Amino acid sequence: MKLLFRIFIALTVVALAFAAYEGLVVAPTEQTMGNVQRIFYYHVPSAWTAFLLFFANFIASIAYLIWRKPAADAVAAATAEVGVVFCTVVLVTGPIWARPVWGIWWTWDARLTTTLVLWLIYVSYLVLRRYSTGTQTSLLAAALAIFGFVDVPIVYMTIRWFRTQHPSPVIGGGPNSGLAPSMWPPLLWNWLAFSMLAIIVVVARYRLQMMEQEVEARHAQAALQGSTQ
Amino acid sequence: MKGPFALKLAYIMTWVIQGGYIVYLVGRFKRVREELKELERGK
Repeated sequence: MKLLFRIFIALTVVALAFAAYEGLVVAPTEQTMGNVQRIFYYHVPSAWTAFLLFFANFIASIAYLIWRKPAADAVAAATAEVGVVFCTVVLVTGPIWARPVWGIWWTWDARLTTTLVLWLIYVSYLVLRRYSTGTQTSLLAAALAIFGFVDVPIVYMTIRWFRTQHPSPVIGGGPNSGLAPSMWPPLLWNWLAFSMLAIIVVVARYRLQMMEQEVEARHAQAALQGSTQ
Repeated sequence: MKGPFALKLAYIMTWVIQGGYIVYLVGRFKRVREELKELERGK
């Protein structure tokens, strides 16, 4: 199992390097924006990966509420934390692209604002998990995650429901939307590479969460033994 | 800010965020492993 994981890490490093090459060198230069448009190959796959991770967190939270298994709670914690990292990349790369293209770093349009709210929801989720000391922390976190996930489809739909400063969707955006065919391979390679990276980090974070649960259980056991002696 | 600089900055920032998180995770792993070892010793 360890060997398989190491092979997967090696494949991910190769995929990330190849995807960066695709985005920076192979992808055609966009006519109006020029090279700055290549930020898209990191920005969009990071957003898609964050959405998938928050969806996994939503499913794991439901599973925890139903079965109360520590493993489901650990998956929820891992996917939320890694999702926040990817969402941070989205919120950082977006303004860096916007400054030379729009002339401003930020605007309070529907897509940008709902994405910031999404990030804040999952940061509060992590803060709750980190600093809540009660025995109901996992339960409260699962409930927050289920309500918090409501913002994910809202973020996705904002550029379809509202006229926003943010560019219109490249997938399912109507007859005049879409990418040039030569831009698809760099986009998909980057999404694949970032998804592979997300899997590795989630697995590592899951193991860490399980180890932390074990430490907590041993401390509780030691305290119980001490009080009964 | 010019386009080529923005492009480099975005790619660098992505890896600063991702790499920073991985370094933070490795640090947490080390701390938890130490704590587990100490608990084993204290048995």
